[in-house]
Amino acid sequence: MKDLVAAIGSWLRSSRDGYALGLVRAIVGALLFWHALGAARDLAVFGYFGDAFHMPILPEALVPSRTLYAVSLGARLLLAVLIVVGHRARGALLASAALGLWVLLANRLEFHHNRYALFLYALLLAFTPCDRSLSLLEGADEVTEERAGPFWAVLVAQVQVALVYVASGGSKLLDADWRDGLVLADRIHRYGHVAVHHGVPARVVEALGRADVSSALAKLAIMTELFVAVGLFARRARVYALWGGVWFHLVIQLTSEVEVFTWLAIAVYGFFVTPDFRARRFFFDPTRAKSRAWARAVRALDWLARFEVKPWAPDDIKQGHSVVIVGRDGTRATGIRAVAMTARCLPVLFPIWAPLALAASFTRGGEASSGS
Amino acid sequence: MPRVKEIAFTVAYLGLQIGLVATAGSRADGAFGFRMFSESTELEAHLVREVGAGEVHVRGGEWIARDRAGAPRRIKWGDRVRRRELATFDAAIHASYGARAQIARWQAAVDDVAAHTPDDAETRRLSVDLVIRRNGRAAEKVRVSSAPRSP
Repeated sequence: MKDLVAAIGSWLRSSRDGYALGLVRAIVGALLFWHALGAARDLAVFGYFGDAFHMPILPEALVPSRTLYAVSLGARLLLAVLIVVGHRARGALLASAALGLWVLLANRLEFHHNRYALFLYALLLAFTPCDRSLSLLEGADEVTEERAGPFWAVLVAQVQVALVYVASGGSKLLDADWRDGLVLADRIHRYGHVAVHHGVPARVVEALGRADVSSALAKLAIMTELFVAVGLFARRARVYALWGGVWFHLVIQLTSEVEVFTWLAIAVYGFFVTPDFRARRFFFDPTRAKSRAWARAVRALDWLARFEVKPWAPDDIKQGHSVVIVGRDGTRATGIRAVAMTARCLPVLFPIWAPLALAASFTRGGEASSGS
Repeated sequence: MPRVKEIAFTVAYLGLQIGLVATAGSRADGAFGFRMFSESTELEAHLVREVGAGEVHVRGGEWIARDRAGAPRRIKWGDRVRRRELATFDAAIHASYGARAQIARWQAAVDDVAAHTPDDAETRRLSVDLVIRRNGRAAEKVRVSSAPRSP
């Protein structure tokens, strides 16, 4: 317990590299823009919500007027653009969060968990050094000292991510209908066509709707949510929690209508990215087309700046390998192990990391150190 | 050491969020509690007007009533309630956020419509009969009604 308190204290005091937070910021900005655009479209099509039945949580006097609401929507669109491009992004995040929460409080009918979560993450991001990388206007972001900043709000955001899973998984665990699979079976029965529409075979959907299967799936879903909540904070389990969480959300995306929650939930996993910068070295053989293509792909997809990509000067270590990756701990990986490590570090390939890592585990040395 | 205001923010923020999660059950829609997919519930709403001669089932959310001057007026539920899930009658729809949330919202909607239809001088009370099927179980019926009106 004393160690945990010390670790939290150290984290709260720390100043760390905020490079990965730039990607979270850009995605959150894009989602804020998407939401504001949808609200503007609703305003144009259905009119101002306050002119009709609505359910304010705030006193009616604090509900925005039609004009103020329209102006706030315009401001939200503009702020979202600033967030995406990284110009005065932290102030824009704070203002976006405030305006978004105001609307949710002005009309309960607008409330959705994903919208609320989006505004909370925007609020917390505003207190992080998320504006020092991936900025379209502020120039280069290669100097570590210039990207570093206080990380206390990142810890708060991490707890917020876990809290969502605890609340969701915990409420299901305490609900007998959920535990027994009744809720899931009925959802599959009613919305199985959505999954079929997204390409899931009809017979698979039919099988998932069976009482025994849906009961098992319900327990799996509850366990997944609770495992993700805890696993995110355990160094050795974190990558498994992240991988399980990504697939959990992708499956929900395939089978349900959840607005942008899938992409938000995956984006905020960026809060758990170890704050280092190009700490792994990716050496490739510049004389081989395959190596050059791999290096180009890594450079293009390395949005979290995990790798320093360099041509490998021929020497004894190379020994015919197209690519050699040197992990944070100095471990070298080649072949399938290098492929697995690449997948682990590149966001778009991360969903296929686990099977690759499993395959790599059967090679000599396994995947190059789970901690690297 | 982090500054006091940062610690204060952290404690206040997490305290609020944990409090909202813990008390989500006390709110009909579980708002701010992140209870995702808490139910699989379907409901059908049937609109009923109470007039002098008894109860009249209103089809499609529209009815004709006489105003104080005795002239017939067409009243549309949808003029006041624009959200599709609270303006769809006689057809099954998904009960977003669960049965309790929808009962509370329909109650608020029926109160709102009853209070905002001054051209209807006939209807003494508006009601909505909700047929709710929760988690695949047998249907249960709930009636939500406005306060009595003074035609």
